[in-house]
Amino acid sequence: MNTLFKMDAILLFSLFSLAILGTFTLYAAVHHGDITIWQKQNLFWLLGIAVFITVCFVPLRMLGLMTWPLYLFALLCLLLIPLVGDVQMGARRWLNLGIVHLQPSELMKWALVILMAHWFASREPSNLINFSAAAAMAAIPAALIVIQPDLGTALVLLLAAASMLLASGIRWRWVLSALAASPVCLYLLWSNMHNYQKTRVISFLDPQSDPLGAGYHVIQSGIAIGSGGLFGKGFLEGTQARLHFLPEQHTDFIFAVLAEEGGLVAVLILLVLYAVLVSRILAIASHAHTRFGSLLCLGIASIFMLYIFVNIGMVSGMLPVVGVPLPFISYGGSALVTMLAALGIVMRVAIESRDKIPWQRPGSPLA
Amino acid sequence: MQNHINVRQRFDGRMTLFQIMMAILLLLLFIRLVDLQLYEHEGLLLQANKNRINIVPVLPTRGIITDRNGIGLAINHISYKIQVIPERIENIDETLSTLQQLMQWPDSQLAHIRKRIDKARSDRPVLLADKLPWNEVAPITARLHHLSGVDVIAGTHRYYPYDALTSHVIGYLSLAGPKDLRAGYLRTENVGRSGLEKIYESTLHGKPGSQQEEIDAKGRRVAVLKQSPPEIGSDIKLSIDVELQRVASDALGKRTGAVVVMDVQSGELLTLLSQPGFNTNHFITGLEHEKWQSWLKDFRKPLLNRTTQAAYPPASTLKIVTGLAGLRHHMPLATGRTTCPGYLELDDRNLRCWRREGHNHVSLHKAIVRSCDVYFYELGDQLGMQRLTDEARLWGFGEQTGIILTPEARGTLPSPEQQLKSGKLRAWYRGETMITAIGQGLTTVTPLQMARFAAAIANGGEILAPTLLANSDPVLIRTVDVEPDHLLKTRRAMRDVIAEAKGTAHWSLNWAKWPIAGKTGTAQVVAMAQDDEEEADKAPELNRHKDHAWFMGYAPFDNPKIAFSVFVEHGGHGGSDAAPVAAAIVKHLAKQEAEQKLMQEKIMQNEAIKTEAPETL
Repeated sequence: MNTLFKMDAILLFSLFSLAILGTFTLYAAVHHGDITIWQKQNLFWLLGIAVFITVCFVPLRMLGLMTWPLYLFALLCLLLIPLVGDVQMGARRWLNLGIVHLQPSELMKWALVILMAHWFASREPSNLINFSAAAAMAAIPAALIVIQPDLGTALVLLLAAASMLLASGIRWRWVLSALAASPVCLYLLWSNMHNYQKTRVISFLDPQSDPLGAGYHVIQSGIAIGSGGLFGKGFLEGTQARLHFLPEQHTDFIFAVLAEEGGLVAVLILLVLYAVLVSRILAIASHAHTRFGSLLCLGIASIFMLYIFVNIGMVSGMLPVVGVPLPFISYGGSALVTMLAALGIVMRVAIESRDKIPWQRPGSPLA
Repeated sequence: MQNHINVRQRFDGRMTLFQIMMAILLLLLFIRLVDLQLYEHEGLLLQANKNRINIVPVLPTRGIITDRNGIGLAINHISYKIQVIPERIENIDETLSTLQQLMQWPDSQLAHIRKRIDKARSDRPVLLADKLPWNEVAPITARLHHLSGVDVIAGTHRYYPYDALTSHVIGYLSLAGPKDLRAGYLRTENVGRSGLEKIYESTLHGKPGSQQEEIDAKGRRVAVLKQSPPEIGSDIKLSIDVELQRVASDALGKRTGAVVVMDVQSGELLTLLSQPGFNTNHFITGLEHEKWQSWLKDFRKPLLNRTTQAAYPPASTLKIVTGLAGLRHHMPLATGRTTCPGYLELDDRNLRCWRREGHNHVSLHKAIVRSCDVYFYELGDQLGMQRLTDEARLWGFGEQTGIILTPEARGTLPSPEQQLKSGKLRAWYRGETMITAIGQGLTTVTPLQMARFAAAIANGGEILAPTLLANSDPVLIRTVDVEPDHLLKTRRAMRDVIAEAKGTAHWSLNWAKWPIAGKTGTAQVVAMAQDDEEEADKAPELNRHKDHAWFMGYAPFDNPKIAFSVFVEHGGHGGSDAAPVAAAIVKHLAKQEAEQKLMQEKIMQNEAIKTEAPETL
């Protein structure tokens, strides 16, 4: 029971606040439609909290042992998708595991971050063998996700891997040479993209070119956000949401509901909560007493940050439309539970590092 | 050791980098949202409202038209229409087949509707069916929630209870065309196309209101936000007495012709009938092309308003004008006599009198009563063409009466000087003046002009503007400068046309309650031997060569109330064919007056009883 009392209060507070904000926002997004969505999400919250608490009790040593099995399991699921996956909206992304519809790419992001954190915990990244191995860890699942096809998730996965490399302390000349190679990669990517993906990118660059087609989402969410103004239209009063002008308003576009009904004030509250959450995870990374723990927290923080930026960026029309959830707000069971599990890991790092000196700091055992 | 410190330092450096990146990304998002929610707020709010608010026009109720007694001539029936807004239809095939099932449309109609939807602008309503009773649209309204883009709208449609009887006066409506749309009408609105419906369009139409509706992304109405009610069109009460019009129509029967009855004091028209009429309700329910074509081709010209749009030779009715001119210019013959042997010898040919036996000694009075041609040949000859034309013009011929029903014919008055000058005429013969004097020349008049002339004789020479509106102030165009004695002479002669046993209309009209003064006219259409006329009665094709029959006048003689003109196209004789129509009209009016008197007496009696009652208690 001691373990629970060692939890980080600020992290808990921000999670609790986000849970409340998310519950209200989802209610606003679905109350005029299928209210069972909201009820289901509440059950997912209960399940997620149970998982979160459970993970808090798993020692990091054990997690270290589980990194490869977890990664390989996720990889196996990705490989199974082309054979037995469910098709939704023209892409095979889901795996039906009887009771749960699992999105393996979702699992893979976390598995990869954990694996890379473990990999670089005791290895120098600016080493051709270590680097190549890590690159392969990321590239194989990324390739599998691209052919699903789910370009957005693949990009998020690669960006998460890149931030892990950066966090592990890879030397800048390696980074620069990777950047130099990126135009070639981009060209290869574009030429391998599906038409619908290309139209998404084009409609992002010029949303008015096809107002009822691919640009419809972005135009309508822009209208919803902008019409909210400073104080918003009031809880449950958003016309764009209420009258179904907003597409996918309970999943990827839920941010527009919050912005329409709560205005810039609610947006600011959300961004502050996210800032508290992410910076707290970074702080825990900074104070972790093992390098593995630090890298874990950094990786998890960067995935959260990527989700937040890509999702809000896309809903507000800064980025192309990519299927990325808004952490703790969007509807979606597997995403919520995995995110809470990840936060459980962060919490475990905080618990294990409490009252201990960070690794390799003056005064630490290894220093 | 150094290496370890290095790793930690590098990690701390990267940590700072991550913190900065996090701050930058969140700041970027915040800037973008401030831009959207503060700077672009107004424009985007406008767009959000445009998304959800649909402004639907609410059509005004058209003003109704009644006759002078409040009987509806153009009224509104409640009905329902079905319309669709194409862009809001989710699945056009499914929607249309559901509608077809519910409405039991034949396939051909469905194809037609489909074509119209494909052609129409996608954001404007397309009318699918109109004038439906509630029981036909009820099944659709029950399913409306599943039929996105379809709407059932309650409204009214025009109905003309008297249809053909009032067709030329009331006119008809039809759906707005491209021109009307440019003028601001809505596609679903009706516009007056002829008659008073056209002329009083702006009065009757009213002003559409609008309704702000909240719609969802599928275009279904969620709520009504705001309503600005339409301005209802103003009602119009006509001077027409539709019962009298019915009497005139029944008296004409199947014959072609025109009847005008005018109040001699106010110029109000009690009857303005042109027969045959046409079915105005056909236009409202959507006129078939063939029907329209058949009307256009019909030799009886049902679309022509004979009271105002057609001018005919006035025949002997014009003799009154000739007589008045004779009196005005103190012609010896006007106060003297001539002898009628049945013809007048002129140069190398004879001008016939209608009575072969002649009229013996003829004065002006006798010439009018018996309609002697020879007397007026001579009087006309003495007057000369110019005086005849001037007199006719004074009494309102050759000019438009100014009735609001346009277009209006002005008729023609022969003006030899002008025609000679313009080279249209090479020579003018004496005989032509003589023929003009009996109304068989080039002169043509409209039945309305004729009725107004009769009214002027009755009211002392006041030429009034005819009006179709009830209780309107009389508009005096001019008072003819005529000596009362001359008018009196003319009136007496007109009375004796009926009252005298040998008057041309005696046997059809001598009826005492409302003594009538009038004048018959029989206009030769083509020179036709008397015998052929009898033949023409048997064969309708030959009918076209039969004479036009006229009867004009006023009643009662001693206290004139109404003036009338009856024109029967190819009707035969004025006295036998046109005059009975006038008789029916006058009888009806006399009966109406008697009934009103009786009613008033009863009311008076009742009141008398009431005032007496307390004393008997």
